[in-house]
Amino acid sequence: MVTEEEIERVAKLMKIDVHDHKEFVEKVHAMIDFFDMLDSAGVEDEEITMKDLPLSSLREDKHIPFEDKLIENLKNYKGSYVRAPKMV
Amino acid sequence: MNLKISALEFVNEVKNGNISAEDFVSATIERIKNVDEKLHAFLEVNSKAVEQASKVDKKIKSGEKVGACFGMPISIKDNICIKHSKTTCASKMLENFVAPYDATVISKLKEQDAVFVGKTNLDEFAMGLTTEFSAYGPSRNPWNTDYVPGGSSGGSAVSVSAFECVASLGSDTGGSVRNPASFCSTVGYKPTYGLISRYGLISYANSIEQIGPLTRTVKDTAFLLNILSGLDPNDNTTIDNDKDDYLSGIDSGIEGKKIGIIKEMIEDGIDPTVLSATNDAISKLEGLGAQCEDVSIDMVKYSVASYYTISATEAGSNLARYDNLRYGYDFPVEGFEFNSYISKARTKFGPEVIRRMILGGFVPSSGHAGKYFLKALKVKSKLTKEVNEVFKKFDYLIAPTVPILPFKIGEKIDDPIALFQVDINTVMSNLTGIPSISVPFAVSNGLPVGMQFLAKHNEDKSLLQAAHSLESTVQLPEIPI
Repeated sequence: MVTEEEIERVAKLMKIDVHDHKEFVEKVHAMIDFFDMLDSAGVEDEEITMKDLPLSSLREDKHIPFEDKLIENLKNYKGSYVRAPKMV
Repeated sequence: MNLKISALEFVNEVKNGNISAEDFVSATIERIKNVDEKLHAFLEVNSKAVEQASKVDKKIKSGEKVGACFGMPISIKDNICIKHSKTTCASKMLENFVAPYDATVISKLKEQDAVFVGKTNLDEFAMGLTTEFSAYGPSRNPWNTDYVPGGSSGGSAVSVSAFECVASLGSDTGGSVRNPASFCSTVGYKPTYGLISRYGLISYANSIEQIGPLTRTVKDTAFLLNILSGLDPNDNTTIDNDKDDYLSGIDSGIEGKKIGIIKEMIEDGIDPTVLSATNDAISKLEGLGAQCEDVSIDMVKYSVASYYTISATEAGSNLARYDNLRYGYDFPVEGFEFNSYISKARTKFGPEVIRRMILGGFVPSSGHAGKYFLKALKVKSKLTKEVNEVFKKFDYLIAPTVPILPFKIGEKIDDPIALFQVDINTVMSNLTGIPSISVPFAVSNGLPVGMQFLAKHNEDKSLLQAAHSLESTVQLPEIPI
């Protein structure tokens, strides 16, 4: 059983401010409870299959010039730097 | 001007000089002005569409080479980037985001002289199946405006069914093309994973999502697939389809083909009307010479839980980029500490997006990954094995696209689990990567029912043939708008 405190901790880790606290936590709780049905799928011994992607399938790692100045799309920038809030 | 023509009819009419692209697009824009206040399919209409269509007409007159679309008016879901156009994902977070580049599908359509009439509504970041989670208000079902049009590509489906364009592009992560196609009575296609490039599609759950067309007919879908499919160096998940022609042989029929009826998709909770339509579809397919038989795919029962676990995990990661530093709205950084700034900026996300971000942080986290995320991946693997096994015996699988009829706006919005269960019949093809298509099949009490066909990996061409066979048996009433 997932506790409200755990949900709140994850919200904080994900950098999310939660409004309408009670209703919100209840809905997230219901969703996680729904996922509990995975326990009865009987897949404990199943192997997780992954698709291999050979390096040869990747595009060449070379610079492709871009015609527009992307930085100008930002709201907060100075010269060629993104302006971010203070870390401390 | 008759706007109720298919994409292929439009091409023929313009090619033969019976209509001009400019007149048709102009009438389409007029139609949008007349009906969209009520339907809200569009978030933005392209003010240059008529001018662009006129340029195509000039190319035709001067004998220049003209692309296969001949100025066809197409709408685009607002999570696909068109250069120098707003791409909001129906989120306040991206309210003023202008895409600096074209998605590959957009470049391909531009090369073929398509005209984009506008960007269509969706659930915020494609997370939902009704468009009620759009930050700009829901779209309405043109068959009955009190009802949801499905989603998340709801605006795209509405725009096609209400004759506000000839075709549309949506994206399908767990049924987001097929579900609204079924609810609005259009064709909706989720191709084999990798058949259409996703470069320029704003990411939600990369390992399972695909861009797909919504059209009036199956042939129109084949026509668009010819344009959109193929390798793209900008999306290394794309597959080489040897430039297959999906239109050729589309009339081949389904005589002698074996079709499996997925038992788990017509059991608990199915609306009797939808079940009756399914039985009717099976009779018609048998009448065309196909052999239909029940088949069980055990993991279908767990597919929705697996789907939401995997998609939330990928969404949590994908949405981490929205910190309002690189994408976002006008909100100065002064006076904030780094973490509190991001938390505050993210309050612009709607409630469903926030819920899924939290789920996406929770299910793969230390201490919970084994119970949720890894188990979801194991269900996905087992489901894929079961589906591959079933396709050793059957050519196609069939099930209703959605087990219930369209429901009223507001009816399920506060019940996340009821909404989850609407996806039961569509998520399987996303989890396994196989192609699937929703074909308009019936209208019951004024509400549409779509039938879904599925085929094995890379059998898109054969799937379209089967869907076309079923489509040819159906005569539906006119849409009441």
